[in-house]
Amino acid sequence: MKKLLLAGAFGAFAAPGVAMAECGEVSVAEMNWASASIITKITEFLMVQGYGCEVTLVPSATTTAVTSLAENNEPDVVPELWVNSAPLYNELEAAGKAITAANVFSDGGTEAWFVPDYVVAEHPELATIDGILANPELVGGRFHNCPDGWGCRIANDNLVKAFDFAGHGMEVFNHGSGETLSAAMASAYENKEPFFGYMYGPTAVLGRYPMVAVDMGPYDAEIHACNQTVDCATPAKSSYPAAPVLTVVTSDFAERNPEVFDLVSKISFTSLELSQLLAWQADNGASSEEAAVYYLMGNKDNVMSWVSEDAAAKLSAILK
Amino acid sequence: MATYDFIFDSIGLRDWCGVKESSGPMTMAELLAGSKGSDSEGFLDKAMSLPFPSLDELNEACSSLARTRDLTKAVEDAFLGAKDSLKIVLDPLTQPLSWILEGTLWLFAATPWWLMIPLILLLVHVASKSLQLVGFVASALLFLSFIDHYSFAMQTLSIIFVCATLCVLFGVPIGIVMSRSDRMQRIMIPILDMLQTLPTFVYLIPLIFLFSVTEPKLYGIAIILYAIVPVIRLTDLGIRLVNKEVIEAADAFGMTKSQKLYSVQIPLALPNIMAGVNQTIMMSLAMVVIASLVSAPGLGVLVLRGIRNLELGVGLVAGLGIVLLAVILDRVTKAALARVNASNSVPRH
Repeated sequence: MKKLLLAGAFGAFAAPGVAMAECGEVSVAEMNWASASIITKITEFLMVQGYGCEVTLVPSATTTAVTSLAENNEPDVVPELWVNSAPLYNELEAAGKAITAANVFSDGGTEAWFVPDYVVAEHPELATIDGILANPELVGGRFHNCPDGWGCRIANDNLVKAFDFAGHGMEVFNHGSGETLSAAMASAYENKEPFFGYMYGPTAVLGRYPMVAVDMGPYDAEIHACNQTVDCATPAKSSYPAAPVLTVVTSDFAERNPEVFDLVSKISFTSLELSQLLAWQADNGASSEEAAVYYLMGNKDNVMSWVSEDAAAKLSAILK
Repeated sequence: MATYDFIFDSIGLRDWCGVKESSGPMTMAELLAGSKGSDSEGFLDKAMSLPFPSLDELNEACSSLARTRDLTKAVEDAFLGAKDSLKIVLDPLTQPLSWILEGTLWLFAATPWWLMIPLILLLVHVASKSLQLVGFVASALLFLSFIDHYSFAMQTLSIIFVCATLCVLFGVPIGIVMSRSDRMQRIMIPILDMLQTLPTFVYLIPLIFLFSVTEPKLYGIAIILYAIVPVIRLTDLGIRLVNKEVIEAADAFGMTKSQKLYSVQIPLALPNIMAGVNQTIMMSLAMVVIASLVSAPGLGVLVLRGIRNLELGVGLVAGLGIVLLAVILDRVTKAALARVNASNSVPRH
């Protein structure tokens, strides 16, 4: 850590080079979950070491970050924003206050209903929703639903009607927060108990516990769009599409700092990559900073393709 | 070369430490150190950035020592290991709380509004004997019902009702025991301090691993642990504040210990105990939103929805509902307290 501070001080005072003077101060939101934290640390590293920015990390969460964007035009960069959980962002984008820099997960985030792998190993028919509804008692007879206020809650409530959970004797439990939802999943897996519930990924729970996504049939864009509204008149069956997960920057920042904006718009991962990274982090008890280093060291070519030539020269001295 | 190598070299533990292997994952500091020579640092720089000999730093010098993350991992493993036996004891012990909460929630929901509201008003009248207060409670309840918050308010009220009652049932006896033994008081006070300050989620997440998250007792426990404190403290204080002369007089009359307790100490301490009950009710109401994070129904759910979706109106109106409930409960208990005080000021012995 001391070296980091020294390096920061070095960057600020000793060498106000050409590229460095351009970047200046950047505030980056650090979301309060594992994958976002790693992405933020990687972004910070590249900005500081490659472009000489002075980065301030702002601890944040989905709604607070978007509200802050709307009201204060800060933080400059918000990595891993789940737009489905923050519909306000669409208004901000339409108003030109914020712009989408990149799809931070190139293949989108996962949203699905999950059951533990040991349940499927014992009863293979539980890998499909029809199999589950035919034997609700095998998954505990209870569906763990999203908390009120999440985007998925609305879709799930409609899907629950469409799949007729009540008619199949499947109880719905509405969680009060994301923390209890993931704790419920984790504790069920630790106790090798049956479990059936919603989860999104990449997350630490999905990285740590091998859960099986339930086959909910084909995805239909029109049906899903209706399912996502509260007053959907005709809830129908459709699986979840890949969720858009974005890196968002303020329009001011993109104008002020085109070079760094270019970097931010290139930082992108696959869901699988991140899940494996999270699993590695859990296995080694590593901090998000160490996970960031692990990723940077293991994917140098990838990382170098994100940055400008100047920055690549500086970074290659560090990432040997 | 780690800073604290010399300690292990000088006391001859180098062999025990084993070969220096880069065991843990590479840190950002190590990564950056690789690119910049550390030789250029002067003595002053080194002294200024001398790290505290913490577990992590010492592990750098001697890989046989545990790191801090090993410590937290050990705590986690210990908990997971003890989980099953804890569950056998705690689960049946707390199960009645789930039943009581479920039953009361059902009862409050099943009672029609035209029966429920007059019942509450009657209760307010009995407790306070003040028509003005009954009028205020009536208008507040009718307002909440009018804006369709009746069922949410009743859910919150029923949770408060159960938790506050249990707090008084357990808290007053604990307070009495504390007032009678100084040692008990010395043991209890740090526990009470801890209950008031320990962040709720620190013990709620382990509780989820013990019980199912779908059990109402989870939020019941959270509310009770937090709200029981004032009634214990003020019962203890109230009994200790009873005049020494009065106790002497009671002794002179040849009263037994329990006679003294029931006919002298508790009646004289009642104003303080009632103040504790009032605070307990207020604090259980303060936990409503946090309890909703672990799936408690009621106005807290609306507040959370308001926060998450930035539906400011929903959040503010639900927050106002909680404030209205708080004002009602506060005024009613204060009025009851005032009546207790008035009757106490007339000497009865």
